[in-house]
Amino acid sequence: MIGSGIKRGTAELAVLSVLQDGPLHGYELARRIEQQTNGALRFTLAALYPMLYRLEQQRWIRGAWETSANGRRRRCYRLTPAGKKKLSPLQREWAELFRALQRLTKVAHA
Amino acid sequence: MPDWQELVRLRLSNLALDSAEKNEVHAELAAHLQESYEALLKEGVSENAAVQHTLSQVTNWQDLRRRIQTARAKENIMSDRVRQIWLPGFVTLVLSTCLLTLNEIFGPKPWVLMKVGQLPMVKVSIPWLLSLPLVGALGAYLSYRAGGSRRAIFSAIVFPVWPFLASILVVLPVSLVFDRFIGHSTAPIALLMALPAWVLAPGIALLAGGLAAQFLLSRRLDSRRTVSSAQER
Repeated sequence: MIGSGIKRGTAELAVLSVLQDGPLHGYELARRIEQQTNGALRFTLAALYPMLYRLEQQRWIRGAWETSANGRRRRCYRLTPAGKKKLSPLQREWAELFRALQRLTKVAHA
Repeated sequence: MPDWQELVRLRLSNLALDSAEKNEVHAELAAHLQESYEALLKEGVSENAAVQHTLSQVTNWQDLRRRIQTARAKENIMSDRVRQIWLPGFVTLVLSTCLLTLNEIFGPKPWVLMKVGQLPMVKVSIPWLLSLPLVGALGAYLSYRAGGSRRAIFSAIVFPVWPFLASILVVLPVSLVFDRFIGHSTAPIALLMALPAWVLAPGIALLAGGLAAQFLLSRRLDSRRTVSSAQER
């Protein structure tokens, strides 16, 4: 079973990575992550918003109400400079972890 | 089509945030549900199935409420513990102590079960015990309102008996060691007898009120959910 720390880490990485491309509101963010990971990562409302609020408290993202072309008000999230700064080492750490796991599984299969 | 705004408002009504922040969270979550629902309809899903599928995104609203509160709290997790256990516990402790003192001054004489020398070691104050369910109920309410889990609510309810239990547990071994200075075997027995009088009986009285309050509060929440489900249909 994947521990909550790892789950949280991957979820944060996914959110910050997607927001790197531009601001998104919660629903669109969840949809984008699902599309870009071919459905491997899915966020329900219950999983997404507590994490967005936590990231906002950490000042890695910032939410602001915006009105769309069809007149709907949505809260859009964008990456803050602190979030951008956090993203690079986070991506490096996860890439290292995956490389290490790949090496490990190759050794195990050899 | 369900009124998503109203549904979220009812299910997260006891979100412990200031009203502006609470409205903001309600609006944001409602907008998300609305978009999920509309996307499903566009995909050709029937209206009923779309509602069910959209609602399945949240299996436990109380858990979501707790996690949103923790995430949005300006303070750290320690503050949650303060609001859910220590503060309600401190209120129940102070209130129960005040009631005991008032009862000693103005109330009828307590029922003394055992004395060590001139010191009444084991005494039972019925009016005080009768007032404790209200104190327990207040502790449960304060902890519940702050988003406390069942364990936190339980801790807040029985908080006033901990000092009594701690003092008995500390004094008992000390009295056994220094028995000859205290009262030739009577002190340990008196302390053991003090356990039901100062810990068990008050604990049961506090729990009676506290658990009843918790039951009523959760029922009120369930009835709100039922109303909201009926409105959805």
